[in-house]
Amino acid sequence: MLFKKLFQVLVLGGAVVGASAGCSQASAQQQGKKPPADAGTSSSSGGGVKGW
Amino acid sequence: MTSARRAAAEAWAFRARVEQEAALRFDRLAAVLAGFDPDSPVPAMMRRAADDERRHTELCARLAESLGNPVALERELDLASIAPRSLDARKAALYETVAACCITETESMATLTTLLAGEPDPEVREVLHAISRDEVVHSRMGWAHLSRESSTAEVAFLGPLVPGMLAGTIDEGLFRPPPADEDPEGLMRLGVLPLAKKREVFLGTLEQVVFPGLEKFGVDPAPARQWLAAAARR
Repeated sequence: MLFKKLFQVLVLGGAVVGASAGCSQASAQQQGKKPPADAGTSSSSGGGVKGW
Repeated sequence: MTSARRAAAEAWAFRARVEQEAALRFDRLAAVLAGFDPDSPVPAMMRRAADDERRHTELCARLAESLGNPVALERELDLASIAPRSLDARKAALYETVAACCITETESMATLTTLLAGEPDPEVREVLHAISRDEVVHSRMGWAHLSRESSTAEVAFLGPLVPGMLAGTIDEGLFRPPPADEDPEGLMRLGVLPLAKKREVFLGTLEQVVFPGLEKFGVDPAPARQWLAAAARR
């Protein structure tokens, strides 16, 4: 029950929020652009975010 | 000090640091996402979320201190991106948003909801309640961004990368036996899930919320499921 409700509230609720404004557009300028040097990317394989 | 109080003091201090990092991450991602998708509501949500996380940092630190563990937070913290270097800026931002919001904030909501369904001490309940109100939005903004990106860009690249996100999220002790002196009821009263409950909530949230959510937006959860099964066997 908990998980079903979380799916509805968070996942489906998030999709509704995302659709509430103009569609995302893939900017030609931004496609393929590397992160700025100050973004601090430091991982070669990717990592995760610690939580509660 | 009882074992539950000691463990809870450590947990709240850890949470204070986690919340501080989240504030920095959301501030940075808000600026990046606004450059790619100016019509999106997500950057504004992330800026508000960063303010929420600074408030949560104080709440968690205060609780840790009241339990006997004063937290020394780094005021000049520098937070690096967690995305693989091979990704371009847009994909890196999506990677980080999915890891931080779709996975970690969704897991946090499940934890908070489970703790609030128990009988936490009044001071703890107040903090849990204040934080849970905001975390709903923090999780949603990740799903909102993934949903928007999936409508115009390629997001399937994330599938093989989700195991890396999980490896960085999962506490090493999750699949181990609980400490011999664990006091499950005492922990719940102080706002901490006992290990067995933590495992149940964490895995249930992955299987029934996060993985179906990823799949819904075009990210194959199969590599993550395989990684998880192997991690549980170790």
